[in-house]
Amino acid sequence: MAYFIGTILPYITVAIFLGGLTWHLWRWTAARIPHFIALSPFPKSWAGSVGFIVWQILLFWNILKFDRRLWIGAWPMHVAIGAILGGHILGIYTLGLQFHMIFPYAISEALSESLSDLLGKTIGVIFVAAAAYLLYRRFAYDRVAAISAPSDYLHLLLLLIIGGIGVYMRFVPGASLHYDEARHFLAGLFLFRPEPLPDNVFFLLHFLFVQILMIIFPFSKLMHPFGMLWNRWVVNRPYEEPAMGIPGAQIVAPAGVIYEDSGRTIRVEHWPRFPVKGV
Amino acid sequence: MSGHGPKPEGFRTIPTWEVAKQPAERPRKPAAPHPATKKTLRELGIVEVPDEHKIQVALERLKEQIKERRSYMLAMESCVKCGLCQENCHTFLGTRDPDDSPVGRADLIRKVWKRYFTVQGRLFGKLVGAEDLTLETLQKWYAYFYHCTECRRCGHVCPFGIDTCEVTMLGRQVLFWLGMIPALHADTDVAILKSGNHMKLTKAGAIDTLEFLSDEIEEERGFRVEFPVDKPDSDIVYVPSSADFMLNPDTLKGAALFFEYIGANWTILSTMTEAGNFGFLSDQYRVQRELYRRLLEGAKQLGAKKIIWGECGHGWRAAKLYMRTMADMNNWWHIPVVHIHDEIATYIATNQLELDPSRIPQPATLHDPCNYARACGHTDNMRIIIKACVSDFREMQPNREKNFCCGGGSGVLFDDPEMYPMRIRFSQKKAEQVRATGVADGAEPGILCAPCSICKAQLYPMVDEHELNVEVKGLLDLVGKALVFRGKERLGGTNNEKNQ
Repeated sequence: MAYFIGTILPYITVAIFLGGLTWHLWRWTAARIPHFIALSPFPKSWAGSVGFIVWQILLFWNILKFDRRLWIGAWPMHVAIGAILGGHILGIYTLGLQFHMIFPYAISEALSESLSDLLGKTIGVIFVAAAAYLLYRRFAYDRVAAISAPSDYLHLLLLLIIGGIGVYMRFVPGASLHYDEARHFLAGLFLFRPEPLPDNVFFLLHFLFVQILMIIFPFSKLMHPFGMLWNRWVVNRPYEEPAMGIPGAQIVAPAGVIYEDSGRTIRVEHWPRFPVKGV
Repeated sequence: MSGHGPKPEGFRTIPTWEVAKQPAERPRKPAAPHPATKKTLRELGIVEVPDEHKIQVALERLKEQIKERRSYMLAMESCVKCGLCQENCHTFLGTRDPDDSPVGRADLIRKVWKRYFTVQGRLFGKLVGAEDLTLETLQKWYAYFYHCTECRRCGHVCPFGIDTCEVTMLGRQVLFWLGMIPALHADTDVAILKSGNHMKLTKAGAIDTLEFLSDEIEEERGFRVEFPVDKPDSDIVYVPSSADFMLNPDTLKGAALFFEYIGANWTILSTMTEAGNFGFLSDQYRVQRELYRRLLEGAKQLGAKKIIWGECGHGWRAAKLYMRTMADMNNWWHIPVVHIHDEIATYIATNQLELDPSRIPQPATLHDPCNYARACGHTDNMRIIIKACVSDFREMQPNREKNFCCGGGSGVLFDDPEMYPMRIRFSQKKAEQVRATGVADGAEPGILCAPCSICKAQLYPMVDEHELNVEVKGLLDLVGKALVFRGKERLGGTNNEKNQ
């Protein structure tokens, strides 16, 4: 069993993950956008559009503006996910010496390792607390519970299990796994020279649940980070207005006058007096 | 529209903060509008699909639309059901029905989508929220998609920008193909295809009404303004909302006064006396496209150089966002289409109009029609205009693109006994907003400016239902009243000395 989870399943998982992701993104990209359906106020330019999207990603601005009680769970959880992903890559790759490598003179190797440990603990706890809060919210608000399918709870539960095991391994000395053991094992997988799983049941479970998460990722609402980018590409676009100015009028607005309106730049065109037909 | 529908007995409007304390529950049977008759469907050229084939046809249609609408696929696959949109939707705030919220409505299709078009739904079914499509589900679609007012507030607040209108519009389109259309929408579609407007007004009838309006202006202002119809060699074609002929004549008069003031060579097209586009709200493929074709062809025949749109929210959204891609020609650069508010705001911003705000002393507030605010981006220029026309302008909260819908958007103007109480609930939030501005507090009625024909049609009865002491007006009504015609105008009333 451990052989299957540690040696065979990872390759299947990665194949499903990357394949599913590519397939979905290709479908999304290939479908037509038949009409211009951007939401106004329109951004002034493509740069403004990108800026708005980045702003939304960094702060979850819409959630902050319209639902604070959701934001205090959602934003910390997602920031924690980002930090955890980065921490896993850096920490395992550099054996916990990432801070020493960034500031070699200020931070010693031992300090870097304990910093890594401290940050891992803190962020892990934030993640578990925020995910638990979101799960509670799903149960507690009858309006949200009414629209939730079982899978909506299970996704959060899965994240909680993965995070919970991770935090447990951090806090309980006997349960933890040192960086070099993890790196040895993972390097084997990446280099197609599989090594046996480290002898640690918590690591095995953590690793198994992460793989389950990766398998369901492309086939569930967990695709939403990509969904957001693809969606905002459709609804946050600049719009070029036709020029103002009424042709043939006796009182004519001076050409070139510009005023701003909800992100739109209003130009006035000078309409030449067309000769009346038949004269 | 006949105005007030049958008033439900014992119905009391409850404030939304009181409604919010009630548990969110689904009613056993959602209120649904009256379906269209067989005769109307025949006139629209569709045959109702028999019940035993409905499910198969609906699934085929849903499937073929996947490639056609990216927004639909993204809404299906990237919503996380956070519930943020629920409390930002006026229908949910009024009813507490989870299916009457954006996510709930989209979920009606999403369940079917998961069951038939996804791997996880086929494998795990109920666990991932997948459900078979049944006739009961179709009936729910029919009820709930016609509760949606396509106001896009959900798209505005959604952290991913998922626009649920795209889903409900698709749902309406599929229902149209199945022959499940409310009588109101089907009749309006038939009327506009036959007569070029929603009011079944013939050309002779329109000319008659316009002459009557000319007389009215002469009586009120002391000079005559003609309303040219189908005048050849016109520079601009004005597209009024047909409700302006009957229900809101002041709006049409305001437009005519503006054109008279600047001396424009304008006309109204008798084949297209309608700014609205119910095809956009029920059948985007045939009816909507036909209306664009008719307008552009008519405008071209008259040699028009510009089309100017009247006060109609969804109609302007349809024209501004959809006409370019639907008219099968890049009309935009041949005949530009602009909104009359944009033009008037330009004239005001460049100081070309003389407006007298003291003629409208009542306190006034502005309801931003959803389509102007969240689809067309002209909220600032409505303010440029209203501030120049009234002396006491009060901002409604929330406003601009955060504004709530009037509750009647996208033709949810059903007068039948089941739907009329729903309309009162949908407009509950709007009534609270208006009350908070204080314009309804005075002894004299204040002004609720709602520059959109559907908003007006919804708010005329709703201000009575919610006991608001306000008059519903269009923006052009105010412009027409405030425009000063020096040397021409016979001025009456208190402003007489001032303007001479």
